[in-house]
Amino acid sequence: MLELIFFNVTNGLIVGAFYALMAIGLSLILNLSGVINFAHGGFLVIGGYLAYVLTPYIGFWGALIVSPLLTAMIGIAVEWLLIRRLYGRDPLYGLLLTFGLAFIIEDGTRQIWGANGLPVSVPAALMSSLSSRFFFITGYRMFMVATVAIVVALLFVLLRYTRVGVRIRAGTLDLETVAALGVNVRALRSFNFAVGIFLAGLAGVLAGGQLGLEPTMGDGLLMPSFIAIIVGGVGSLTGTLVGGLLIGVAAGLTAVVFPSASDAVMYVIMAIVLLVRPRGLFGEEGMLA
Amino acid sequence: MSVLEVRNLTKRFGSLVAVHDISLTVAPGELRAVIGPNGAGKTSFFNLVSGFFAPSAGSILFDGADITGVPAHRRVGLGMARTFQITEIFPELTIFENIRIVTEVAAGYRLRPWLNRSEMAELRHRIEETMALAALSGKADRVVGEMAHGDQRAAEIAMALALKPHLLLLDEPTAGMGDQETYEITQLIRRLHKAGHLTIILIEHDMRVVFHLADRITVLDQGRLLAEGTPQEIAANEAVQTAYLGQAA
Amino acid sequence: MTADQRKHLAVLAAIWAALLFAPYWMPLFGGYTALGSRVLVLGLGAMSLNFLLGFTGVLSFGHAAWFGLGAYACGLALKHIALSTPLGLLAGTLVGGVAGALLGTLLVRRRGIYFAMVTIAFGQVFYYIAFQWLSLTGGDDGLRGFARQPLHFGLFQIDLLHNDIYFYYFVLFCFAIAVGLMAFILRSPFGRTMIAIRENERRARFLGIPVELHIWIAFALSCFFMAFAGSLYALLNNFADPRMLHYSLSGDFVIMAVMGGMRTFWGPLLGAIVFVVLQDYISSVTVNWMSFIGLLIVLVVLFFPRGFLGMLRPRRAA
Repeated sequence: MLELIFFNVTNGLIVGAFYALMAIGLSLILNLSGVINFAHGGFLVIGGYLAYVLTPYIGFWGALIVSPLLTAMIGIAVEWLLIRRLYGRDPLYGLLLTFGLAFIIEDGTRQIWGANGLPVSVPAALMSSLSSRFFFITGYRMFMVATVAIVVALLFVLLRYTRVGVRIRAGTLDLETVAALGVNVRALRSFNFAVGIFLAGLAGVLAGGQLGLEPTMGDGLLMPSFIAIIVGGVGSLTGTLVGGLLIGVAAGLTAVVFPSASDAVMYVIMAIVLLVRPRGLFGEEGMLA
Repeated sequence: MSVLEVRNLTKRFGSLVAVHDISLTVAPGELRAVIGPNGAGKTSFFNLVSGFFAPSAGSILFDGADITGVPAHRRVGLGMARTFQITEIFPELTIFENIRIVTEVAAGYRLRPWLNRSEMAELRHRIEETMALAALSGKADRVVGEMAHGDQRAAEIAMALALKPHLLLLDEPTAGMGDQETYEITQLIRRLHKAGHLTIILIEHDMRVVFHLADRITVLDQGRLLAEGTPQEIAANEAVQTAYLGQAA
Repeated sequence: MTADQRKHLAVLAAIWAALLFAPYWMPLFGGYTALGSRVLVLGLGAMSLNFLLGFTGVLSFGHAAWFGLGAYACGLALKHIALSTPLGLLAGTLVGGVAGALLGTLLVRRRGIYFAMVTIAFGQVFYYIAFQWLSLTGGDDGLRGFARQPLHFGLFQIDLLHNDIYFYYFVLFCFAIAVGLMAFILRSPFGRTMIAIRENERRARFLGIPVELHIWIAFALSCFFMAFAGSLYALLNNFADPRMLHYSLSGDFVIMAVMGGMRTFWGPLLGAIVFVVLQDYISSVTVNWMSFIGLLIVLVVLFFPRGFLGMLRPRRAA
């Protein structure tokens, strides 16, 4: 029994780390630009498929780095051409635009690569398990968690200690003042958007290695990201991180007793948080309310 | 009994103290001006009194009753109305429509699905009365968002009036106005003060307006109460002059 | 009667005339009656959403939830309770409306973009339930095994199932009632407070309007209308499926409202006409209809945000 719990909780942590990665990217964009990026899942898909294309040439490790970068560049192009015009307008339009974009990306991906699943080849070294007892802790899963942990840690370092990071944080609280201080807000937003999309692309590569690729894989991760943000508290990246891990672990724990309900438990958590503490676990009073 | 009494009012935003331990009393029928350099906490003070946010410490008494915990929309029902620094109106509606909404709410009709003929007539009468008070009668069908700044401000004050308050909080009513408009608004405020047993608290930067209208003046600086007194006393007060040094009157 | 009012009445007359005679002029353009019914129902859905979005200024992106709930409840009522179309409609409207009203209490505490996120998430809860609860809802295959029943009027009955035209007029009748009610509410003092909240929420609060309460009422009302539309949709298709709850349908309603003109009364219906016809046409021509719809949405948002009717009226009075 204990092993079952351990198995599921570990699984949950891994899944949660994944949710957190997606949600943090989404949260970054939401906080600074006020846009709910419905297309976030789409960028995940792009990241995954780009890795598929690149792996034969530069190997898995190369794709791991290059694919998110390329995806981020696509993100910047999108932000420049499309999303940028919507800042300052009713948030409805940002939501609608990214919604439409998600359609285009999903259909486009299906058109180019077909609707069936595609594999991403992962180095053999990662595929082996830790031990026969803990067979489920494959090297790849550990690698995924490690990557997420490293990247998130790097992000927090970026936000805390670099000039651009401090500006992003200040901009989240009061963009007008930051602009008045002479910071190029447009460039800041673009950079911020790119970072968020980088994370989505990275998640795509990781997911591809674990689950294989298919055009609708982004959808299933969008909702947990939303919920992670709601539960963790809008405006707080730490909250989003915690939120993602929390719903992952909760899903894992639920799987022990009620396997079929494990997907539903994140909605239950969200409902509870909304009832008891509407601003989220780490949310600030008045944040975007 | 005072209309407004504020005791040890404090508001903190994290480590920033916007309003620090302010106590004051406003008598019925008084026209009080609140002045001070930029960032002195004047608008925060208004926000506390009108219920926009809750104080970190201290209490607020309105007509002798403690309203510190009362939400904003209920304070309106108790007889308090305010205007905002950046004119807050319903931009895509006409003056008539703007005032109509206010009058309906003030009459308690806000949840009603329909009004009968006599109610509608009564309503129209009150709306026209309010427009006349603010000298806007001829402009009833103009869309507020398209009007001159001065008229928009007058419309906003008219809306506040339509609530039939006995305490009116005006936040920088002449901000951004030229001489002519400033004069007109000043005359409007004076008219209202004389006509309606209204207590008015006014935040202003334009000293001409302040000295023209105020019975008493409260001076704030960096969230604290610096001085209080009649216009003559304040004009002679050295601390006040120091605080304003470098600030254009 | 002023010239403005005369014009207003003429436009209204034209709209209703077009709707009344639709089964007769539609075939001239390659249309068919069932398409007209479909447009009416989805148009009602878009108008119900617009009641909240366009007139109160509240951004709900999960409104399909109430639509789908209405559809399922109607179908389930027909399947398990009684073979009665009016009962199905009533059941659907009540279930969807009450659910919306209840959940609305949780939702209205937040506003703006956060509110939109929560509505999306809530919508997906229902989608998930419909998907998983196989025994009740039929899961991914949808709820089947019911059909719209004839209307009994004592001596005679109207066959709604086999006669498309009769059903169309039934839908039109329902549409008229719902739309009439909406218009009535919007013109009332309460309706004006909704508009005040949309125009300037802070001001509305400082006028003594308890904003949260009013938003909740507007939200609940829009959910009832939405559920009513959903019930009609179930009757139209004799079928209910999880896609009627999915946020992509919510998005469709929003784009209909925006395309037709978000702050106008009839705009969403116009948007629905354009959207349904386009979708019908595009999906019959190419398999990539999704890209086209997505492209349409992007173009509307970037270049056409005020929508057809929004462009015609530079300002909209209360």
